[in-house]
Amino acid sequence: MSLEPMDRMDEFEQQLRTALVRQAAPEGLKQRILEARARRRASVGSPQSVWMRMAAGLLLAAVVGGGVLWKRHQEEQRGEAAREQVITALRVTNRALDNVEIKLAAHDTRDGEQEQRRTR
Amino acid sequence: MKLKIVSLILGVVAMVQVGAAQNVAQLLPAQLEKDLAARASEVTEVTLTKSMLGFAAKFMDGKRHDDAAVKQLIEGLDGIYVREYEFDKPGQYGPEVVEQVRQAVSTSEWVPLVREQDRKHGETTEVLMKVVNGENRGMFILEAEPRELTIVLILGPVKMEDLGKLKHLSGLGALGAVSGAQHAAHGTHTGGSK
Repeated sequence: MSLEPMDRMDEFEQQLRTALVRQAAPEGLKQRILEARARRRASVGSPQSVWMRMAAGLLLAAVVGGGVLWKRHQEEQRGEAAREQVITALRVTNRALDNVEIKLAAHDTRDGEQEQRRTR
Repeated sequence: MKLKIVSLILGVVAMVQVGAAQNVAQLLPAQLEKDLAARASEVTEVTLTKSMLGFAAKFMDGKRHDDAAVKQLIEGLDGIYVREYEFDKPGQYGPEVVEQVRQAVSTSEWVPLVREQDRKHGETTEVLMKVVNGENRGMFILEAEPRELTIVLILGPVKMEDLGKLKHLSGLGALGAVSGAQHAAHGTHTGGSK
C-alpha cells in the first residue's frame, strides 16, 4: 500500500533531521588542518620555490617574446618579398613602356622622313 | 530581409572579386601560362592582388628613397599582374596567343592608347587604358616580339601623376613618360600595320 503525500513528507523530514544532526568533528582534525596549512605556507615562501616560480615566469616570457619576435621577423620577410615583387612588376612595366616609347619614336621618325620626301 | 541584403552585398563583393580574377585568367589561361613558361628560357611572373599590394605598402616605410613614390602609386590599386617570357629562339608562341590576350581586353572599357603591329618583324605593341565613367581604372601593356612576350595588367585607378614621380627613380624612367603620353594622345596613337 502506498503512503499518502503527507506521510511521505513527514518521512522525508525525519530523514533530513537525522542527516543534519550536529556531529562532533573527528579528534585531531583541526590540528591536522592547521598543520597542513602551515606546511603549505612554508613551502610557498621558501627561496627554492621563489626561484622556481621566477624561472618559470622567465621561461614563459622568453617563449612568448621569442614567438612574437619570430612572427614579426617572418612578417618582415614576407613584406620585403612583396615589396620586391612590386618593384619587379614596376621594372617590367617600365621596360615595356620604354620599348613602346622607342618604337613610337622610330615610327614618328619614319613618318617625318616620308613627309619630307613627299614635300620635296 | 536583413539576411537577403547581407547575401546580396556578399554576392556583389564575390562577383567583384571574381571579376578581377577573371581578368587575369582570361588574359592567360593557366594551361597556356604553363606552356609558355615551359618553352621560355626566362620567366618573370608577378601576381599582386589588392591585399598583397596593401601588405607590401605597409613595408614601404620611407627607409628607402623610392618607397614613398611607389607606395603612393600602388595605394588603391586592385592588382598588378606581370608575365614576361624570354625565348631562346623565335617561334615559341604563335599569333593565336597574342590574339587570345588581346581578346581579353577587347571590351568598350579598354581604350587603346598605342596600338602598333609590325607584321614584317612579327611585333605587336599595345597600350590600353581602362576607362570607367570617365575615370582611369587600369592599364594594359602587351609587347610581343619573336623572342619575347610581355604582358602587364594593372587594375585599379592608375594615378598618372604618381607614375610621373617615378620617372626619377632608378630604372623607372619610362613610367613617367607614359603619363605625358596619355595627356598628349588621350585618344589613340595607333601605329600602322606594316
